[in-house]
Amino acid sequence: MSASSLAPVAARKASRPAPRSAANRRARRFVSRGVVVAGLVIFTIWTLAPILWAVISSFLPQTALTSTPPDLSPTNLTLDNFQAVLAGDRSLVRGLINSSIIAVSTSAVALTLGSLAAYALARLHVPGSNKILLMILATQMFPGIVVVIPLFIVISRLGLIDTYIALIVVYLSFILPIVVWILKGFFEAVPVELERAAAVDGASVLQTFRLIVLPISLPPLFATGVFAFIESWNEFFFAVILTRINVKTAPIAIAEFSGQYTTLYGQMVAAAVLASIPVIVLAVVFRQYILKGFVEGAVKG
Amino acid sequence: MDPREQENVIRMSRRNFLLRSAGVGAGLMVVGALPAFLAACSSSSSSGGPGASGGGALTTLNVLAPAAPDPAPPGVAKFSDTIVAAFNKWQTDNSAKVVYEAPPWPQLHDKMQTAFASGNPPWDVVYMSGWVPEFASDIVPISDMLPADLKADLPPSSFSTTTWDGKTYGVVFTLSLMTLFYNTEHFAAAGITEPPKTWDDLKTYVKELTKPGQYGWVLNYGAPEGIGGTASYWMIYLQQAGGKMYGPDGMPVFNDTPGVDALQLMVDLQAAGTDPGSISYVGINDATNVFTAGKASMMMNWPFTWMPAQDPTTSKIVGKIGDALLPAGPNGTASIDGTDAWTITTASKNPELAMKLIEFYLDPAVQKSQAIDTGWLPIRLSVLNDPEVQAKATNAQTVLAQSQHPYDSFVTPDYNQVTQALGTEIQKALKGDSTAAQAIKDASDQVTAIVKSRT
Amino acid sequence: MSRQHGATWPFGRLRASGYLGRQRRMGILLILPALVVMFAVLGYPIVSSIVLSLQHVEPGGGKFSGTWVGLANYLNIPSDPAFGTALSNSIYFTAIEVIVVVSLGLAVAMLLNHPLGRSAFFRVILLIPWALAPVANAVIWKWIYNANYGILNYVLHDLGIINQYVVWLGDPRLALNSLLVADIWKSIPFIALLLLAGLQNVPPILYRAARLDGASAWQTFRFVTLPQMRTTILICVVLQSIWALKVFDLIYVLTKGGPADGTVLLNFLSYRETFDFGDFGYGAALADVLFVMMFVLALIYLRVFRPTSGARQAGA
Repeated sequence: MSASSLAPVAARKASRPAPRSAANRRARRFVSRGVVVAGLVIFTIWTLAPILWAVISSFLPQTALTSTPPDLSPTNLTLDNFQAVLAGDRSLVRGLINSSIIAVSTSAVALTLGSLAAYALARLHVPGSNKILLMILATQMFPGIVVVIPLFIVISRLGLIDTYIALIVVYLSFILPIVVWILKGFFEAVPVELERAAAVDGASVLQTFRLIVLPISLPPLFATGVFAFIESWNEFFFAVILTRINVKTAPIAIAEFSGQYTTLYGQMVAAAVLASIPVIVLAVVFRQYILKGFVEGAVKG
Repeated sequence: MDPREQENVIRMSRRNFLLRSAGVGAGLMVVGALPAFLAACSSSSSSGGPGASGGGALTTLNVLAPAAPDPAPPGVAKFSDTIVAAFNKWQTDNSAKVVYEAPPWPQLHDKMQTAFASGNPPWDVVYMSGWVPEFASDIVPISDMLPADLKADLPPSSFSTTTWDGKTYGVVFTLSLMTLFYNTEHFAAAGITEPPKTWDDLKTYVKELTKPGQYGWVLNYGAPEGIGGTASYWMIYLQQAGGKMYGPDGMPVFNDTPGVDALQLMVDLQAAGTDPGSISYVGINDATNVFTAGKASMMMNWPFTWMPAQDPTTSKIVGKIGDALLPAGPNGTASIDGTDAWTITTASKNPELAMKLIEFYLDPAVQKSQAIDTGWLPIRLSVLNDPEVQAKATNAQTVLAQSQHPYDSFVTPDYNQVTQALGTEIQKALKGDSTAAQAIKDASDQVTAIVKSRT
Repeated sequence: MSRQHGATWPFGRLRASGYLGRQRRMGILLILPALVVMFAVLGYPIVSSIVLSLQHVEPGGGKFSGTWVGLANYLNIPSDPAFGTALSNSIYFTAIEVIVVVSLGLAVAMLLNHPLGRSAFFRVILLIPWALAPVANAVIWKWIYNANYGILNYVLHDLGIINQYVVWLGDPRLALNSLLVADIWKSIPFIALLLLAGLQNVPPILYRAARLDGASAWQTFRFVTLPQMRTTILICVVLQSIWALKVFDLIYVLTKGGPADGTVLLNFLSYRETFDFGDFGYGAALADVLFVMMFVLALIYLRVFRPTSGARQAGA
């Protein structure tokens, strides 16, 4: 960073009166600390309130929820909503299983193919890499809605509607670009000397990648994997169009509880809560990787 | 990254990762074990496995139907055990295997649009609701395939919404006309002894019944398009005022007194005491919830709502509900048809078998169970007049009476686009952003443009 | 560099021998699978939709092709009142969302960077809205905004802020803003995380220097933090703009574009034309226009806010 941006500060200092007293400084620190605490409290309430309300609602029956004011007495707490969405015909469990299969597969393949491609773009002087990167960014911008119908046509001609493989491949097509983008940024930050040293020792490109670069890059790799998992778990519209019966995913199951003739609010939010638990748990469990690796890689990219 | 952090990162990577993935793996195993556990504890009705036309001489019939509680056939909705057994027997007798795809109602049209566009829809039998003219080239004309005795037992006017260009493409399977639902307790408290008979009655009653904590009228104006959308409600009033949508050339003719009066009634009802939340209720269920919570005195609703409204677990007004004919306008009373119908796709390889399945759905015993067990009124006149059905579905009489009056839903291939434009203009008038006359005129212009661009 | 190997076009550099040539060939090999997946899956549909946008597809025709009309679909767009509404809605939605999310995200990031905010608890709760499925988010907010039973109305009424229950999704303006709040709530965490990483990359020596110079908190922010964060903020703005323009699940579940087209955004309009009305050609044209808009927007951002030469390479 150039020194020029500090110049105004220095100039201002020259025109300032005598330095402030220690008491003033302590007061200022107290106020700023108060501001921070207030900010953190507001942030916590703002972030948690909708979730808390959803969770509470999922434990209340319809009559309690449709009273004004809502009847929040603990005697009303019930597991009925959860039982209704887990058992029965509109089972959420199928959706959870399908989503798990699809999300795990998608993130595994995305990491494999994506890390190789990212490494190639970062280190292997692929010709036209800038154009490739731009094209990758462009695929992110294309609105998925209209792509759905041609995709449906191709997939149905292949007889692959309502299969896992169809959804996995489709999800890969828009998750891979992000994976490549992020990992490229991180691979670029790996010290080149390490790789040069390996090359001098006679390691091939793949060996360098596997034995030197990958082990150092575990945090961003796992983080990107979690990100890919979450993206494929949460996708809705393509799943609606490309599945029929067997491969219904969790988001589809959530949407099933607001139909035309009934809205059982408690069940609706219970389904939303249940279907979100796996991804939230995953995000929280792997948060250190996400925070350290993924985010930094994105920033550097 | 300074070296110490780097070291931490690597250490964190190996040790903690193993711990965390072990935890996640255990979690996944629990999730995987859950269905087996639950399957042991609960029964689930079949929603079909992958259909295969192999395995003996079984023919697979794929059916697209809405998920319950929207009108759904045996195998999706909860019919009586006798009917379930009959359904299984039908499959065995006809060497057929029926596989259902039953998405929630709002997704039906999206799936149909995609599948029909591909030219290769995976279904034999498809549920339609106002989309028959739109997809007319993808479904089979069936009037010749219907047995005569079945045809005779159906109200002739029930075919109007499945007939297009002179050909009948589907058969409606439930008599679903909007009628008036009202809260008898509210009426008694306000000293009203009879349901409203005319538009003026309606306006007066709504005003009298509106007080703090209670609205005289509630409806869902949040979705402009489709059957059961804002535009379709206006079409009810349009008919009650003696108007109609299209002239013989297919051009809109509703920009006249009946059209404007119909919208004016809706606007007047807003001021008189409609629940202000009505403009945000996208599905009728939201409006129904207000009614069954006892916060609104009157609404229009489909016959299906009758039974859940008597269910104490979801309704607070059990035993306090009355039903009546819709109040009459200058030209008498009228309603619209829910147009829930079965059709057969042109892509089907087994149209005769598909027709047999539809005949099964229309079998008197199945229709009776449909009324008594699922709450959807039958379409067969003989079953509608069955005393058992009338005893359980106490609103059947009213709906039958309503069916003696006009109930045109004015479906055309552009129905979605037309109702979208019309409904949006109506919403503007309801919000007071436009006058009724202006809204109808603008709507008429837009509908004219739509119709012109398609012909 | 390649000249010394006597390379010629095409693929000269690939044919080159030695370490670099080996690397390049390997590079192509490694990148090929990913590229194949991406372009094989998306290639036909994107091309198909461009082709479609140049046709007039008769809806309900059971076919997916129609008569060639050249640019007629595109020329119809400006005169379509729904497009005008969708465009202004989208611009408003995107602008406000980007401004609010990036500003609040920066504030959150700074809070979390502060010693008091270092606890893992805050980072955990940050991750929850991010991990939530957009459909789940929509369902939860639909319940919060419910005119009769929603908790928002109850709380505001109880606190005396409103006298009557508000129909949040009933007025076009209000509905759009309600959707905005729901999406902002979900978007802030990710942007805050990106900004937090950017903050943590600011060399602490600069802060020390500023403090030594006697800079106030605001001055430090303005002359140290912001310039250092320039690239990160740019990335956040680009990403959030693209996501704001692609919002769909929220509208589909909450308002279906109503009331009175108040919540119709460009993406949703394309959906409505394609799926509700069956006008595939026009819907495809709308989608292509949206794509071009996003592309141009990204280019504009990158040009206007070109990162300073001393900062880290932006990579685009």
